[in-house]
Amino acid sequence: MRNVIVTGGSRGLGLGLARRLTRAGYRVIAIARKETNQLTLAMEEAERAHPGSFHFVPFDLAETAAIAALVKSLRNAHGPIYGLVNNAAVGFDGVLALMPNTQIEQLVRMNTLSPIVLTKYVVRAMMADGGGRIVNVASIVGFTGYSGLSVYGATKASMLGFTRSLAREVGRMGVTVNSIAPGFLDTDMTHGLDDEHRQQIVRRSALRRLPEVDDVAGAVEFLLGDAAKSITGTVLTVDAGNTA
Amino acid sequence: MMATTMSVRSTVTARFEQVAREQKKTLAPLSDDLVLLDSGLDSLCLAIIVARLEDALGVDPFSSGKDAEFPVTLGDFIRLYEDAAR
Repeated sequence: MRNVIVTGGSRGLGLGLARRLTRAGYRVIAIARKETNQLTLAMEEAERAHPGSFHFVPFDLAETAAIAALVKSLRNAHGPIYGLVNNAAVGFDGVLALMPNTQIEQLVRMNTLSPIVLTKYVVRAMMADGGGRIVNVASIVGFTGYSGLSVYGATKASMLGFTRSLAREVGRMGVTVNSIAPGFLDTDMTHGLDDEHRQQIVRRSALRRLPEVDDVAGAVEFLLGDAAKSITGTVLTVDAGNTA
Repeated sequence: MMATTMSVRSTVTARFEQVAREQKKTLAPLSDDLVLLDSGLDSLCLAIIVARLEDALGVDPFSSGKDAEFPVTLGDFIRLYEDAAR
């Protein structure tokens, strides 16, 4: 079984990704701070259908100094890492002028610094093992504007830039690096979105609806799969046509 | 540790030769005063060597938390691993 690390795999998009990838035949190693009820249920379900396909490792990704040891222990426990999906992120919103600096720092640490450091250690292992796949979960907010999401947007734009240059750096080692840019999804991250805003996003989307978690998960599965072997350094937008 | 059967030095030089072969690079004759930048390997090749040495020796002198400068010569590079493996 090919090992795929999914960060933030305990709920929301990450959990949907983990579920889908176990069904597709991968061994998913979900990393998150705490096990959630949804995660426990999903792991039990995966265990019945595909034994050994779903593992959970509790870890706080804000602890960037401990990431090297984490990657080492994952490789020791599970063998070579085929795929990394940098999905974990926080989504605080608020006008910049009033946002506490601690929240700004937390956004940059969780959404930019942590995935970069994790990728550093995972990509080294991939290079030594002869190849791999990296998928960074960005957002349409990385290239289009939403009031109240300036810092979040900055971190997501950083993932897009990181993807392009890293793809060039590690391409000849057989590692592909791509981004996914989801539109607004119905997850815990967007529960603060009021109905009026939601309707506005739906109205402005070509398909007159929001994308679903499984739509995004399908796109990640594609980028991890053999069919995407010649795709690197790009971004795949899954937003029901919101930015079309 | 695997370094018991093979010295750190020979483990390091074996990785240089292995990666040069894989990456189809012409490796300069390995000596202690060889400047790494003149070895025929580029920085990405050196990154693979560091990753493989971590597997082989169980140490990564560049991830100790300190901002270690990358060594200039092969001799410096080997000494860094000999010190770390102690």
